[in-house]
Amino acid sequence: MDSLPYYLQTVVNGILAGCIYALFAMGLTLIYGVLNFVNFAHGELIMWGAYFLYLAMAEPFALPLYAAVPLALGMTALLGAAMDFALFKPLRKANRLTLLIAAIGLSFFLRNAAQLFWGAQVRTYGFEIRQGYRWLGVSLTPQQLAIIAISLICICGVYLLFFKSRMGKSMRALADNLDLARISGIHTGKVILSAWIISSLLAGVGGILMALDTNLNPEMGVVNLIKAFAATLIGGVGNLWGALIGGLIIGLAENIAVLFISPGYKDAVAFVIMVIILLARPYVVTDKRTD
Amino acid sequence: MDLVLHLAIVVAIYSIFALSLNIEVGYTGLFNFGHVAFFAIGAYVSALLSLQDATFSLALIAGIACAGVGGLLIGLPALKLQGDYFGIATLGFAEIVRMLLQNQVAWTKGPMGLPGIPRPEIFSWHFDTLPAYLLLTLGAAVLTFLVIGFLTLSPFGRVLKAIRDDETAAAVLGKNPFAYKMEAFVIGSAFAGLAGVLWAHFITFISPGDFTLTETILVLLIVVLGGKGTLWGPVVGAAVLIFFQESVRFLRLPPEWSGILGPLQQMIFGLLLVILMIFRPEGLIREKGKETIDRD
Repeated sequence: MDSLPYYLQTVVNGILAGCIYALFAMGLTLIYGVLNFVNFAHGELIMWGAYFLYLAMAEPFALPLYAAVPLALGMTALLGAAMDFALFKPLRKANRLTLLIAAIGLSFFLRNAAQLFWGAQVRTYGFEIRQGYRWLGVSLTPQQLAIIAISLICICGVYLLFFKSRMGKSMRALADNLDLARISGIHTGKVILSAWIISSLLAGVGGILMALDTNLNPEMGVVNLIKAFAATLIGGVGNLWGALIGGLIIGLAENIAVLFISPGYKDAVAFVIMVIILLARPYVVTDKRTD
Repeated sequence: MDLVLHLAIVVAIYSIFALSLNIEVGYTGLFNFGHVAFFAIGAYVSALLSLQDATFSLALIAGIACAGVGGLLIGLPALKLQGDYFGIATLGFAEIVRMLLQNQVAWTKGPMGLPGIPRPEIFSWHFDTLPAYLLLTLGAAVLTFLVIGFLTLSPFGRVLKAIRDDETAAAVLGKNPFAYKMEAFVIGSAFAGLAGVLWAHFITFISPGDFTLTETILVLLIVVLGGKGTLWGPVVGAAVLIFFQESVRFLRLPPEWSGILGPLQQMIFGLLLVILMIFRPEGLIREKGKETIDRD
């Protein structure tokens, strides 16, 4: 086991997980940038995204994959928009404590709703596992290749949207200064809604990919929220590229750490990294301060 | 009658737990979303010592002390953070504590839990019946109420409120916000440890599954429903919510409902938090001198 291909495989697995975490972190940081608060229910968007696909593909709907995926993503986006409309919009001017308690209450509500419908047990989409391609002793299944490809497409999409489109420009303006953006004639309601939809889509895609790589369970939301947050923190909160790099770092660190510690603590790695960053300095990859 | 005693004991323990969270959330404005971790530390430390034949007094003190030290250790990095980040950091910390309980099988027996925790005995007084145990928990609850009441009404408490309302202004007046937050956090953690000790010796069986985010949400809801930043709020909240929660348990519903009932009840708790925050963020009891509340 103790050979180069083994370590190489670990790195590849780390990148794979890192791509998914990057999607989570980018969604989280987008909402933070625009609305200036941590969406505690982001983990539940991830989880529901994965379960929406499960719902669409299971009986009685039993839709084929190409129809089920857009449906699941659409439902996730709808859920994100509904969250904003029902909860965060009325509380836009409320103080932080009120907002955060409401957000964690919502996250708890959504998590238990999933548990009510599907139970606490672990589920999978039930795709057959195919023989992996081997190259330099590293094995990758077609599913894993698809995960990396889809993540890269999403990241490129976010780049184009954020830095090359008018909407992205408005979002960046809003993140910079809400009042100035409003004065300059930017329709803030529309921009905020788009931010929610993009954030939810990223969460949904990430959730589905994560469920494809591992499995579905109602707990996946909270765990991934903490990882996404750690990734966000590495890159500097509100910074999209920082989130991308942070996600990759978390994914790699987790998989490399498992070589040395018990796999039971895999989920603790992100937290430990977070604490180290907080102790060292809260602005690591980019020079934008997070405090 | 036993039912009433049982209810009263649980309410007393949760009052302590909620009072300890209130000093953080209500008075100091710290978003502690991992409060259950300190409850768990108190419960496990005390249970493990008692199972090694330590006296209850020793187990009690060790449980409280370990929870307090845990608060200090996590507070050092986490309290440097502003609001939301502190919330995530504590949320993560609670997950780590649960993971430790689950994976350090050599100490904690992992998911199997610790059965047979003895009922306490202090100076040859046995607290092994329900009325006696109620007396013990009531005593502890009154003590907690008085200590936290004294602290929050003292100048110390006023500084905490000042930091909550405007940290910069408090710092300008020469108060060190970090030190005050740390004190509030350690005190809160230690009292949560006390609640955990009392819980472990009452239930006599604990496992990592008892100390999840669900408990944090429940105690947060108790504080918010009762009225955060008030002395009686957590007590009133505990009485109302525990009565609701435990009475569902005694309704003699058909057993096949139990798979649905748990998540449903927790959905209601989550929804209740959301609704409270939108329509009455101050809770049942309104904090004095805060009329134009929650708009900044």
